[in-house]
Amino acid sequence: MSQDVAAAGRRRDAVSGSDGSPVFWGRLIASAPYRALMALIGTSPTRQFVLLAALPVLWVLTQHLGPMLQMLRVSFTDAYPVAVGAEQNFTFDNYLRFFGDSIFWMPFFRTLTFAAVFTFCTLIITYPVAYFLARHVSPKNRMLMLLLLLIPFWVGEIVRTYAIMILLGNTGAVNLALRTLGLIDRPIPFMYTSFSMGAGIVYLTALYMLLPLYSALEKLPKSLNEAAADLGAGAWTRFRRVTLPMTLEGISSGCTLVFLISTGFYATPVLLGGPSTTVFAETIAGFFHVAGDEWPTGAAFATIMFFAALVITFAFQRVMKALRKGDS
Amino acid sequence: MTRRPIFNRRRFLGTAALGGAALASPAYLRRAYAQSGGEVNIWTYNNFVPEDFQKQFQDETGIKVNVRLVDDQGKQFNLLAAEQPNPTVDIMTVAGHRFLQFVDSDLLAPLDTDRLTNWGNINPTFSESDWATVRGNKWGAPILSGMEVLSYNTDYVSAEEAQTWDTLFSEQYSGQTAYIIQDMMSIVMLMMGYDGNMVEYLDDPDTAARIVEEAKQFLIEKKPLVRKYYDSGAEVQQMFVNQDIVLGHSWNGPAAALITDGFPLGMAIPQEGSYGFVYTFNIANNAPNMDNAYTFIDAVLASPEIGAAMTRASGFISTYKDASQHLNDLERKATSFPDEQLANLQFFRAEANELKYGLVDPAVEAIKAA
Repeated sequence: MSQDVAAAGRRRDAVSGSDGSPVFWGRLIASAPYRALMALIGTSPTRQFVLLAALPVLWVLTQHLGPMLQMLRVSFTDAYPVAVGAEQNFTFDNYLRFFGDSIFWMPFFRTLTFAAVFTFCTLIITYPVAYFLARHVSPKNRMLMLLLLLIPFWVGEIVRTYAIMILLGNTGAVNLALRTLGLIDRPIPFMYTSFSMGAGIVYLTALYMLLPLYSALEKLPKSLNEAAADLGAGAWTRFRRVTLPMTLEGISSGCTLVFLISTGFYATPVLLGGPSTTVFAETIAGFFHVAGDEWPTGAAFATIMFFAALVITFAFQRVMKALRKGDS
Repeated sequence: MTRRPIFNRRRFLGTAALGGAALASPAYLRRAYAQSGGEVNIWTYNNFVPEDFQKQFQDETGIKVNVRLVDDQGKQFNLLAAEQPNPTVDIMTVAGHRFLQFVDSDLLAPLDTDRLTNWGNINPTFSESDWATVRGNKWGAPILSGMEVLSYNTDYVSAEEAQTWDTLFSEQYSGQTAYIIQDMMSIVMLMMGYDGNMVEYLDDPDTAARIVEEAKQFLIEKKPLVRKYYDSGAEVQQMFVNQDIVLGHSWNGPAAALITDGFPLGMAIPQEGSYGFVYTFNIANNAPNMDNAYTFIDAVLASPEIGAAMTRASGFISTYKDASQHLNDLERKATSFPDEQLANLQFFRAEANELKYGLVDPAVEAIKAA
């Protein structure tokens, strides 16, 4: 009873000051628009749902889908930005340009190949980390370990990319260590190769793979592995027949995230890649700001990559779903 | 750094050499201060508006200077085109060889040089050059000039080797070179004895296409030798400092900045020739603060000390008369070339840009894809 009185007192304090005059929240609750809104929401569940959903839906439409739809629209025009007095016409030419010129296919397929390979590498590298974290670190230390893994993500993509440059450059830490150990006489040219680009992308996307894997592994009951061990299954068999199938959902989520992100990377390939690693994002960027100034073509190419990545992701999800069904 | 009062310009000029980097502006700015205020919005490259000058200009005119950094001519074009006919920018920084594109799209206002009392402070080589006048009008005030040079680490490459672009493509420096591929297309055409501006082939597109194809095949053949196709001056600086490369094509500005920092770098305009370009301050069509824009440009042009400060900050060469007299020996060395090398230089031209980039852009994509 005394708790109810105290809670009521707190509520009263929230709407009125010490002298009894209404504070901001009190004035808000008493205001006519607020009362009208509450009356409107209270009239029916449907109306309540529509009103409450309006803001998030508006946010998704304007902030998420809006720019993409605008890009899609631009991709079907022959000029953008439109010069004063000029006319903008509808056209398919920007899409035909991609399909009609094989020059653009190489960076396109290279990007998809790189994304698939780097996704696989990220999976191979982060799975043991997630496994260790979820299965071997005590629950009280897990948060600390996760925080340590999150530290690099407190800084931006560009800073982390430069960190890779500092590591892999001719005068970087790796070459310095190898020289100090007497293993090499001349620096190994790690930088500006598919290796340096891959190292950068794996580093940048590792968290997106790690967290779904960690989540899936943490949920996996230890009793299942123990039962398999009791039945005579060795470590590899337990992993192959129990752990892996039970974490396919985490693998699927992680791979989807990393693959989609990898197809869109621009700064990292530009900074870490070499002459033979040009990715499609660089081609697209070229249309936006190099001599051509051809936004509609860039928009069309971005749309093509967007849908290609979606189709591949969809196919991958189907395969993973089939695998999960097969295992269950 | 001592900041000298603008009203006493004569005294300032008399002691400027001792004052080092101190800047001066004309006294009339004090009158403008009383009259104007407001703001001026500028799109320009990093370090093109020296901080000290900006502060002094603001203090003495009451005009707030809002600088938005840009790193690409195409981006500026797109931004401005998207904003017209009501742009937010007053002054932008267009390279001379891109004038036509901006002028054709009605993005620039013709420059009324009669409103610029300090116009005469610009070296006529730049202010009266053929590219500076388009359709009978001036469209920008030249501020800094740059050029495509062969930069080299003097610890590994000799000055003699840097006298030819061939060194950039030699097996000896395989994997230790870098260049901006779009710019190299023009230079390779020049190396092959053709007009990299493509003005000569305006009436002969077949020849133009054949030449671009030849340059493209050359760069594809030499692709295994290059370490990196880069885009920005900061990238090439980083590669030199990290010793990822020992020579490369670059703009003189970023290379000069490394030299003045004490890095063992040299620059040369090779004997086969190279191209130069000039950055200009331009006034946007329908600029919201037109009067302030003229006040700012006139103040920027007021004295060679300001030109020297711009050179010091950006590494590019000032277009002002006598600006080099206000640089120290190292800065002068980093921003000057022997006469025999300068004789190999020609300016980029805009007349054939549509033909040229229509051919060069796909060629660049092909080289990257190869």
